[in-house]
Amino acid sequence: MNRILSAGFRLSLFTLIFAASPLLAQKTKPAKIKAAALQIEMIQSDEIKLPAEFQVALYENLIRQLGKQGFSHVYRDGDRNAASVAGLVVLHSTVRGFKAGSERARQVTTVSGATSITIHCQFTSSDGTSLLEQDVNGKVRFFGGNLKATYDFAKKAAHVANENFFTPGRE
Amino acid sequence: MTSRSTTVLVGVTSLFAGLFIPVGNAQQVSGPVKVVQLTGLAGVKDNAKGTLDVENGQLHFVHGKASTDVSASSIQDVVTGADSQRAVGGTIGLMSMAAPYGGGRVLSLFRSKIETLTVQYRDADGGLHGAIFTMPVGTSEVIKKELVAQGAHTTAAGDSTPPASSSTSPSKEQKQ
Repeated sequence: MNRILSAGFRLSLFTLIFAASPLLAQKTKPAKIKAAALQIEMIQSDEIKLPAEFQVALYENLIRQLGKQGFSHVYRDGDRNAASVAGLVVLHSTVRGFKAGSERARQVTTVSGATSITIHCQFTSSDGTSLLEQDVNGKVRFFGGNLKATYDFAKKAAHVANENFFTPGRE
Repeated sequence: MTSRSTTVLVGVTSLFAGLFIPVGNAQQVSGPVKVVQLTGLAGVKDNAKGTLDVENGQLHFVHGKASTDVSASSIQDVVTGADSQRAVGGTIGLMSMAAPYGGGRVLSLFRSKIETLTVQYRDADGGLHGAIFTMPVGTSEVIKKELVAQGAHTTAAGDSTPPASSSTSPSKEQKQ
């Protein structure tokens, strides 16, 4: 009888530990950084040759996805209105890796021809202080044109921004 | 003897004419060009079909009843490129993937060549925008030249960029 009670106690203890661990993990998450507005710089690809259409598609999709994530003030590269915004966060993106892939190969073989792009995203304050740095990649493995990788990247980058920054009045 | 040399002369002339006439035709674009605006133009949905032309210092995109103009002087970069697309696309192309014995995959092998025109321009506040168009072969370079003639800037002098986005190009990974 004692053995059964002891086993039951151990089981409930383990259950409690496993159930509590996600809650503990959430507590250790870093606090979100305040961002009154975001400014998106044009994607830089000095060292890696990136086709112009990829560069533009990355930039445009990024702005669109950040807007969808709820950032109400997303300024474009060079927008003069951003200069007067207090608490502006600037996103600098630099291409670190690019594999052009092939839509034809994807459709014919399914397993080859993936397009992938890796971009180093650096969020800074307006004075240049780095707030967050992270590599984000975009891929298209099966269906869709090569430019779909830019959409994938933009969604992931916007998610990173949403996880780490908040706009006052939004949350 | 004279007739033989005349025949040779006519033959050689015809050969050179055959070589150069298609090039000349490709460079002559009269009026608006049918394009697909992939992304970027303000107020225009992605993948919108329409016509594009350059007139009075404006890049003029007409989509249905709506039209969008971009001033050539506000354009800070125009780049052309080459790409390809499925000959059978859209819903039929997607449905064909389910065809038995890999029939859909065979259809994927048939692709048509297209060209891309990528434009970067600034709005009234100085904000940078980018727009991508796809169009028939032989038209993008003409539009680019017209834009440059009417005040647009370009960083890529001369011919187009390598067709890195082309689905037929070999895959080479570049890493830092």
